[in-house]
Amino acid sequence: MSVYALQKLIRDVNRKPASREAYFEAPAEFARSYDLTDDERDALLKLDVGRLYAKGVHGLLLRPFTIIHSVSEPDYLKAIRGEN
Amino acid sequence: MPITFASAGSHAPGMTAWADAAPPAQKETLYGAYGHLRDRLARSGTEALIVFTSEHWANFFLDHIGAFCIGRGDSFSGPIEPWLRVDKAKVKGDPELAREIIEACYENGFEPGYSYELELDHGTMVPLHFLTPAMNLPIVPVMFNTLADPQPSARRCLELGRVIGKLAESSPRRIGIVATGGLSHDPGERNHGVIDSDFDRRFLAEMAAGDSERLAKYTRAELAAEGAGAFELLSWIALCGALNGAKGKVVAYEAVKPWATGIGMVEFDGEPVSA
Repeated sequence: MSVYALQKLIRDVNRKPASREAYFEAPAEFARSYDLTDDERDALLKLDVGRLYAKGVHGLLLRPFTIIHSVSEPDYLKAIRGEN
Repeated sequence: MPITFASAGSHAPGMTAWADAAPPAQKETLYGAYGHLRDRLARSGTEALIVFTSEHWANFFLDHIGAFCIGRGDSFSGPIEPWLRVDKAKVKGDPELAREIIEACYENGFEPGYSYELELDHGTMVPLHFLTPAMNLPIVPVMFNTLADPQPSARRCLELGRVIGKLAESSPRRIGIVATGGLSHDPGERNHGVIDSDFDRRFLAEMAAGDSERLAKYTRAELAAEGAGAFELLSWIALCGALNGAKGKVVAYEAVKPWATGIGMVEFDGEPVSA
């Protein structure tokens, strides 16, 4: 299963102000317009950084996405390294 | 006209965004090195700068990825990162030079994409901030896909550089070329913060030696081992091609932990107006 739709959502939130606003206003509703698997949607809505990374979200998409969620660098690195 | 200025250097965002996090001696060395290159560029009388740079999901996504993209706009805005501590600027483009590059590519076995609308991120704005702080030199960005798999091979990048270098040399105008990116770093990935100084120094030495054949043989596995950001060195390899293997000199190298990157710069002989 391609992680394309998940990465597209994350990139849209990172780069498009209107998408970012819509996402933060109603994340679950925003996610409905992307063709995500149930597990991808769950990881996204729980901001499960380790799971998102393991699914193949590119680090330079995921790290900016977590920065706008105020995830610190040490916490981010622990999560993608599976140290949590 | 010979290429009037050529250098390769890192573009880690920490260099401007959290500059003072670096040990003062390292910062001083690297700022001094970029200052040296800035002075040299200013003396060279360069009229336009071709920038071999990296795409960081600023302009392109997986809905449409090409190996190379030439910026042919009248101007380019950047940086896109409000936190970079580089003033927002509109950098003039050079559509005529861009068109010449695209045509030279098409005539010589390359069909790069082109765009009138590229935005500039730290990959271009950090080096320009140091090299042309007034942002008054027209540029033609040449974006390399260094993110999405697969990336173009080192040999193709070298060959693309040869085509662009030949075009620049055939121009009656004074054209410089700057490559940006690298060295070892793994931004957003598991080895973020890991710097391989041995690799970095070896790569810098190969660049300075103009060792085209060695550089063309870098494999995806070799670059990936040095972190995802090391793919940005494909633009350096293109510069070596543009200069046809000319020898250069390592200006500086520091492994800067707070910037999570091996930072290096190499300069090559141009033809200064007055030195």
